[in-house]
Amino acid sequence: MRQTPAAYPLTWRIMDGLEAFVAFAWPARLGAAIPWLMLAPALLLVGLLVIGLVQIGDVSFRTLDPSTYRMSENYTIANYQRAFTESLFATVATRSLLGALIVTVVTLVLAFPYTYLMVRTPNAMLRKLLLTALFLPFFIGQVVRAYGWLIILGNQGMVNEALGLVGVEPLRLLYNYPAVLFGLVQYMLPFAVLMLAPALSAIPEELEAAAESLGANWVRTFTHVVLPLARPGLVGAGLVVLTLSLTDFAMPAILGGGSQDFIANAIYDQFFRTSDQGLGSTLALLLVAAGSLLVGLVIALFGAGTLALSRVRR
Amino acid sequence: MNGRKIMSQVFDRRRFLKTAAMAGAATGVYGLNAPRAWAQEPEKPKEIIIRAWGGSWVDSLKAGVSDGFTAKTGIAVRHDLTEDNEIQPKVWAAVDQGRVPPIHINWDTTVNATKSALRGVTEDLSGLSNLASTTDLAKPVGLDGYPIINTYGYVYVLAYRPSAFPDGQPKSWKALLDPKLKGRIALYNDGIGMHFPAQVAGGGKLEDIPGNMQPAWDFITQLKGQSPLLGEDPDFTTWFQKGEIDAACTISTNAREAKKNGIDIAWTVPEEGCKFDTDGLWIPKGLPANELHWAKEYINHALTVEAQQIWLDGLGLPGVVPGVKPPQDLVNDPSYPTKPEDFKNLIRVSAKIQTENQSEWFSKFKAIMQG
Repeated sequence: MRQTPAAYPLTWRIMDGLEAFVAFAWPARLGAAIPWLMLAPALLLVGLLVIGLVQIGDVSFRTLDPSTYRMSENYTIANYQRAFTESLFATVATRSLLGALIVTVVTLVLAFPYTYLMVRTPNAMLRKLLLTALFLPFFIGQVVRAYGWLIILGNQGMVNEALGLVGVEPLRLLYNYPAVLFGLVQYMLPFAVLMLAPALSAIPEELEAAAESLGANWVRTFTHVVLPLARPGLVGAGLVVLTLSLTDFAMPAILGGGSQDFIANAIYDQFFRTSDQGLGSTLALLLVAAGSLLVGLVIALFGAGTLALSRVRR
Repeated sequence: MNGRKIMSQVFDRRRFLKTAAMAGAATGVYGLNAPRAWAQEPEKPKEIIIRAWGGSWVDSLKAGVSDGFTAKTGIAVRHDLTEDNEIQPKVWAAVDQGRVPPIHINWDTTVNATKSALRGVTEDLSGLSNLASTTDLAKPVGLDGYPIINTYGYVYVLAYRPSAFPDGQPKSWKALLDPKLKGRIALYNDGIGMHFPAQVAGGGKLEDIPGNMQPAWDFITQLKGQSPLLGEDPDFTTWFQKGEIDAACTISTNAREAKKNGIDIAWTVPEEGCKFDTDGLWIPKGLPANELHWAKEYINHALTVEAQQIWLDGLGLPGVVPGVKPPQDLVNDPSYPTKPEDFKNLIRVSAKIQTENQSEWFSKFKAIMQG
């Protein structure tokens, strides 16, 4: 039966028009290109990063002429030789890598029970409280948080004042390696909890109940059920914390008292203090390489965790 | 239409007529004088931008130079507090790419400014009329002409908390090696200010700089054993105020700032001497001609006695124009040299030598302190 105009609403007609336009502008034979079209913004961004890296790579093979403060025209590997032979850079690199590993382990250990409690507690008020405590630090920048620790841990800070009440002389709690690691752990904790929460939420509570009903105590349930199933979250959180810690600038600069530099601080020094963009670029590229190798190693050993690009399970 | 709207319209019309009349009058006045004004001076920009250090540093510059310049010319002055090391690559990139630089004037250390001069990104300032009345201190050592004009000098003194030195003021930089000061001393994080006195304290000679500075590195290695804090200008004031340190190698201005804030701080020039250095003003290349003219006028104004007196009273530093009087609290102070004999114990090394060796000295200092 032929439809009357009233039976074919205006909105349908508009949709028909739009479909016709799309069919004209983007014919069906181009359908295979749609995924690439969706990828285009990401490819553009990555492309820009690659261009930047190529330029940094170019500068890394040039040396600074201190009589003109310009980079040399010719290429040389002198900056790489300096980076690998000068004790300063070995010290700073070792400190950064070791620090990143310690911070990652400590952060995961602290984040796990926090996250577990947050996703498992039946008390809605407690869950809200934990969520609020998790998100609050995101509203405060890293630098402000570091300065907060200066106030709390300083010679005349709250902790030393409290110690003074029980007759303890002021302790040097700041401007050392543990202070930097402490600041980093505090900064990284919310990131780790955020990465762990989806993984722990995905573990059915029934599995834990089943293990307990089969006679497993909470330790065995934890080690044989929860921990293996939480591995993707732990790996994902570990990768994020590891890379962020390895490349951090502010905590070593503020809480380190100038003598606990990480690689990022050394790069800053070369770019902005000695104006040696060549050596700064070299260190930056080596940092990218070290970080990539470390991440690659973790992925090779443990998989990519929640960062994995696998298809949805069917 | 309600009453409020009617009143509003009447008011707006009156205000418009009044404004238009004033504008017309102003145009008339300017119209009469305009040809003469154009013949005399280039078009004035709305504002000029001066890069400056924050805190008491920018307050002093504003009170001493910028406010006076604005009153004289009607040009507003904006102070850009970007870190001196961070503005440098931005200015260099702008000049290299033929863009207008982000600032009109850089208030800079002479060493940093010398880098820019060596790179060829600075305007020549030798034509400024007030240069004729400045002392030799205004001239950058080791450079041709005036790519920078030094505007004052300063001394990296040994600042100390008198209560930590019950036997009186420290006579030598070696006093910093006292075990009771472990963890209680501070240096600049690039070692600036300490290299040259360390050369003497380490048993070396100043004439050996830069050829042989091993004595300096030996002494700095000894200082490393004292676990010094390493920071920048504002850190020293804060650390003294927060009770973190008892002694430091720092510019006297920072110690004076802590003293102004009620902290018991003193400073001295030890027997090995103290580094004396200068800060200056320079203009990056690439400014439009009229803005370049007014930027030069700003620097010219900074070289007047009146401007220097207020600016440097705030900083507590000796200027480059004869007739500037020291603040009351700094009369005969070793950190405020005014007579030739006051410079006897101060060490001055040309900015050119410092810039040419900065990278190497920086690496050595860092290697010691980060080890």
